[in-house]
Amino acid sequence: MNAWMAGAFSLCVGILPCALVCLRTKGVFDRLVALQMAGATVTLALVLLAEAMQRPLFLDLALTQALLSFGGGLVFAHFLERWL
Amino acid sequence: MQAAVSVLIALAVFFSLVGAIGLWQMRDAWQRLHYLALPCSLCAWLIAFAVLLSEKQKQAGVKVLLVALVLFANNAVVTQATARAIWVRSKGQWPPREPPAPPPAEAKE
Repeated sequence: MNAWMAGAFSLCVGILPCALVCLRTKGVFDRLVALQMAGATVTLALVLLAEAMQRPLFLDLALTQALLSFGGGLVFAHFLERWL
Repeated sequence: MQAAVSVLIALAVFFSLVGAIGLWQMRDAWQRLHYLALPCSLCAWLIAFAVLLSEKQKQAGVKVLLVALVLFANNAVVTQATARAIWVRSKGQWPPREPPAPPPAEAKE
């Protein structure tokens, strides 16, 4: 196991607090913030996994995840503002 | 070179875990929003520099820089949009109302 793989697995540990916040809090915005944090953490973990496997093509997955997390966060915030 | 890359990865993991634990421990969404900055800005750039140091291919470096840029924009834009949504949901409108003007001073006799 190299440093990239160890870093990826350690980053995945950071998803657990986000899951706890999503599951245990009642406020919808607390859950939204935890979802955004999980999206950023998963993006970084995908970058580290791509480097660990020596497959630069897998960086496209990280880029896609970052873009989808960006758009998804904006859409959730916009709709939670008034309609949901 | 490998030592520098390992240090950068370790710093990124440390700050990301600090952000996640901070998000878990805070009381409300206003406080939790602040901890998004750690993985989105600091950790993203640390990992981007680590990849740029170790990777020989130019294409991978460009992709990692793009990921870091998108995460950096994500931090600024989505955090502002979420904070605005929280305000509108709790206070009813955006922009906030101006405080009432003080009564005019009485004319001296």
